[in-house]
Amino acid sequence: MIIDRRTGSRPEHLRTDLTSWVVGPYHGALPGPMRVHLKLDGEVVVAGVVETGFLHRGLEKALELHPWRSTIPYMDHLDPESAVFGELVLCLAVEEIVGIVVPPRAQRIRVILAELTRLSCHLGFIARVARAVGSDTMLHYVLRDREKVLDLLELQTGSRASLNFLRFGGVVADVTEGFMERVHETVDMLRVRLKEYNDLFTFNRAFVKRTANVGIISSEFAKHLGISGPNARAAGLPYDVRKSYPYCGYDQLDFHIPLGKGEGGTQGDALDRFLLRLREIALGIDLLKQAVESLPRGPFWKESLMDNFEVPAGEAYVRVESPRGMLGCHLVSDGGKNPSRVQFRVPTLPLLQAVPDLLVGGRLEDLPVILASLDLGIAEADR
Amino acid sequence: MKPWMSAWDGLDVFPAGTPEWAVAASIVGFVYFFVIMPGAGFMAFLDRKISADLQARIGPNRVGLAGLFQPLADLLKLLQKEKRIVSGWREAFWLGLHTMALYSTVAVLPLGSMFLLVDTDMSAFMLFWAALILALGTMLMGLNQGSIPGWFGGIRVASQALAGAFPAMIGMICVGLRAGSFRWSAVAAAQGSSPLHWTVFSDPFQFIAFFVFLASGMVLLGISPLDGGLSVPDIHGGVSSHLYGRRLSLFRLGRFYGFFLWSEIAVVLFMGAWNLPLFVTDAIRNYSTPVALEAVELLVLLVKTGLVMLGVTWVARANPRIRADQITDMAWKVLSPLSLMALIGTTVWMIWVNH
Repeated sequence: MIIDRRTGSRPEHLRTDLTSWVVGPYHGALPGPMRVHLKLDGEVVVAGVVETGFLHRGLEKALELHPWRSTIPYMDHLDPESAVFGELVLCLAVEEIVGIVVPPRAQRIRVILAELTRLSCHLGFIARVARAVGSDTMLHYVLRDREKVLDLLELQTGSRASLNFLRFGGVVADVTEGFMERVHETVDMLRVRLKEYNDLFTFNRAFVKRTANVGIISSEFAKHLGISGPNARAAGLPYDVRKSYPYCGYDQLDFHIPLGKGEGGTQGDALDRFLLRLREIALGIDLLKQAVESLPRGPFWKESLMDNFEVPAGEAYVRVESPRGMLGCHLVSDGGKNPSRVQFRVPTLPLLQAVPDLLVGGRLEDLPVILASLDLGIAEADR
Repeated sequence: MKPWMSAWDGLDVFPAGTPEWAVAASIVGFVYFFVIMPGAGFMAFLDRKISADLQARIGPNRVGLAGLFQPLADLLKLLQKEKRIVSGWREAFWLGLHTMALYSTVAVLPLGSMFLLVDTDMSAFMLFWAALILALGTMLMGLNQGSIPGWFGGIRVASQALAGAFPAMIGMICVGLRAGSFRWSAVAAAQGSSPLHWTVFSDPFQFIAFFVFLASGMVLLGISPLDGGLSVPDIHGGVSSHLYGRRLSLFRLGRFYGFFLWSEIAVVLFMGAWNLPLFVTDAIRNYSTPVALEAVELLVLLVKTGLVMLGVTWVARANPRIRADQITDMAWKVLSPLSLMALIGTTVWMIWVNH
């Protein structure tokens, strides 16, 4: 502190030692409730320690206390922003233990919902980066478009955020009338808007200067910490669960995963992570078009599972590619009414471990940019 | 009448024999309450409305016609937020001192050919008095909050003011070279009403000087997007993070005044000041009173100023906030050399091209 409020004394010399500042648990720069203990030399960060756990809800334990079918709504809260991926990973795990073959139509509907959620999550990411660099205009543009994607989720599932739409062996309902046309319309609109985002961000020198060479994650560093998803791909690691361990029929879709190229500065910097999300939005548009055009006919739900649903003893580990990275679920069943143990491998945790290293050497004004560019999901890290 | 006050001989709105101090005080009061304050409200409204249009929002639309009275409603709300006013005499003293120092520059403000309270050879430099007082006051306010955001905000404001002052000064000297004086009347007389006769288009180096003057003014005053000292995402508001109620409205008005002052003087120095086409001036002189002429000139000046301010706002809305160290870098390494280039270029142009 500059002035000792207790004694009211004013030091007559200029303090030039390190400044300590505890940012959080609630602060505009943070993606959720967390704390960053900073040591600053002038405006340059010399040390940062991350403290989390403010959002712990005992989610894994809660799953053990509920019958199998009641667990799905809880999974929406693993990461509320990308709710469908929590449901998906649990459904896949249960289906693996039970040995259910999900009908192709249901799989494709899951893919459509997952890709729509990924779009909304990436648009939310862009909005958070826009807020971090202090440009409200872009924030509003992006949120306006994100609403359109959420409208689609609402049209199909009746809910914008917590979908509660997946079931073991399929989905709750078939595609709503008019949904496919609306998906086409919306992704066409997003393709046009991508150009707008490029004008506002990618070709904006001021934005590039704020994000290039900030918070660099090298591919070795990413591998060392187990960073996955867009952040690892921005660092140049060609790893995507949709390609490496295809699920829900992703192997039938034709797509290439984009990698960071280090256009503005260094490979794996905040700008690269941002541009990669833009490319993933373009990829999501392609995937959605393919998925909608080739929607197979057939049931959307395994009819035989309606009554007396039981899970035999066994365990399974499945992984999906969530918008933030590889989301894994280790599920153990002892043949009882409830899950015996559920454990998640969330993509945010390795990123939180990376934060102190990324902050050091950066400036205080880079803190929001770095945190936003990592796309941290505090809800899933604390769960 | 002292010689420096002779410029408004024609304005015979005061009864004969009114003491000089009373005339000066009423003019300053008039400008403050009827030009600055409503201007701040109207520009705040325009800024919010146009920003909303740019950002796919609606903006203020409830209070009054199309939300026109929203700034007034905001002001009233801010004033009544402070139920109990706690401030020691030290704070009151400093607040009063800074407010007076800042608004003392109202007296120097050029507002028309007959509306020049102080028209001396040093008039144009008084601008820096206002800008630096504003920066100093903002910095002290940040440092005195006893919080980390205030501290960083204050230091950023100070470093930006230091970085922006030099190129701004050189940019202004370019105009003085052309006009042969820093007297407002001389600067205005050196230009015409048509853009072809504005300083900014008189030669290429004056154009650079204009750009440097405007940009470094934004650095000096910390106008968005160059407002690192008020940055929200990292230091949640910086200097203004602990302000509310009366103090916040006072602070905002002060910052608006700085922005207005700078844009207005940029118009006077570079964009033809208050000059009207000669036939218009003659017509008003012949068929109406000097007060009417002065009113029209003031209107022209204010409209131009408003357009400059909206132009700056437009740029601000399309760009992210620049990092504080990048701002000072730009001021020292880009704007300063550019300003010196403009100064040398203007000199050479005046010697070899104009003669």
